[in-house]
Formats: sequence, C-alpha cells, structure tokens
Amino acid sequence: MAQPKTAVVRSDLDIVIARTMARDLAKAMSFGAIDQARIATAVSELARNIFLYAGTGKVTVKEIDKSGRKGIEIVCEDQGPGIPDVDLVMQDGYSTSRGMGMGLPGARRLMDEFDLKSQEGVGTRITCRKWKSS
Amino acid sequence: MDSLRIPILKIGDILIASIQVSLHDASAVQFKDDLLQKIYDTRARGVIIDLTALDVVDSFIGRLIADIAAMAGLMGTRVVLTGLQPAVAITLVELGLELPRVLTALNLEKGLSMMQRLTEESDDGPA
Repeated sequence: MAQPKTAVVRSDLDIVIARTMARDLAKAMSFGAIDQARIATAVSELARNIFLYAGTGKVTVKEIDKSGRKGIEIVCEDQGPGIPDVDLVMQDGYSTSRGMGMGLPGARRLMDEFDLKSQEGVGTRITCRKWKSS
Repeated sequence: MDSLRIPILKIGDILIASIQVSLHDASAVQFKDDLLQKIYDTRARGVIIDLTALDVVDSFIGRLIADIAAMAGLMGTRVVLTGLQPAVAITLVELGLELPRVLTALNLEKGLSMMQRLTEESDDGPA
C-alpha cells in the first residue's frame, strides 16, 4: 500500500493542492471518475474550512483495507478555534462565513463515513472514508 | 500573489470564457470581477462560461458561478454554463448546489445556439 500523503493548508492555493493529492490517490486506487470527483470535492470543502476557520492545518490521505475491501481515508486536522456546536454546523445551510453552509454536510454526503471531533480552543479533526464499490 | 487570469473572448456581442485549469479562490474571484467589467465595457448581451475542462467544482466555485449569473442578469446580460462533466453534475447536486437559476447547455455549440435564441427573443421585445 502507498504511504500516506500529507498536504499543509495555509492558503487558498493549498486547497487545490490538497484536493489534487486526494484525487491522484483515488485515481491510483482505480476509483471510478464519479467517486474521484466526490473525494476531491469533499477534500476541497474540508480544506477550505481549515483555511477559513483555523487559518492553517493539514490534510492526510491514505489507502485503507478492511477485510479485503479497499478504501481511502482522509484526515483533516487543525489547531483552530474548534466548533462549539457540532450538530449545528452539520445542518444544511448553516454558515458563519462566506460559504453557503454546505461545506461540512456536503462533504459528509459525498463520503461513506464521516466523523467530526472538535474541542473549543483545541482544534478540529475530521476523519472520512470512501470505500470501493467492487 | 499574482492570480491566474482566465481569458475572455468576444465574438459578436457574446463573451466566451473557457475555464481550463483548476481555479483557486483568489483567481476565481478575479475572474468574476474581470468578466463583469468586460460585460460592461463591451456591452455584451450574453456570456457563455465553459467548464468542459474542470473535473472538480466545489461549493465555492459553484456559488461564485451562481453569483456571476445573478450579477450579469442585473446588468441585462444572460449567462449560459456549458460542458459540465457528469461527475461534476453529480457532485454539485450531492453537495446541495443545484444552480437552479443558471441556464445550462450540454456543450459550447449548444450553448451558442441557445444564446442566439435568447438574444433574438430579446430583440423582439417582451411578448
């Protein structure tokens, strides 16, 4: 299996770098074109959240295997202000910034598994996975 | 940092912008500003934005395109979006961004004939 890859996010250019990195891995793992777009778009949304709310953070992508089933795992971490009310930000349409509030719920819909852990003043860690359908 | 400029071509009274590379946020905002200024300067009656080459359109770019269509509309110019790849259309709808008020066409050719119809209709004045 390929080594995990990490992209540091501290500018809007890094959002493009992070999502290209995720797409490249998805492509190398032979995900279909639509799943590649879903994965790249989800990473774009999550990396933008890091840039907008925490300023800096990182995105790590890796290949995973559960009983022979292959998948891709994306971990987005920052030491930003954290999210006081996780349920609220996961609602469609909720936004505190220039977005339209579809970043987090949208990314969750694009992926198969989505886990968000956040602590105020400490940071946020989002882990999401997409499994290959075959 | 210099942002990447998207070329905007003028053919008759229609502007055509084909986005060929993945846009980062600053260059996308620059494109919006450039396009609106060019509409004003050229008095274009229609704008076609071709996204054939884009394999990712996230909520930021999607929202920006919806904004451009609304802003151009306020200036009296129609916007037609062309060439969305199937994977892009699927992810946009799954994201929750259906761009309901943006006119679309399958490809640039169909977009051009749609634009010709639209501008001819407005020549005849309101029905």
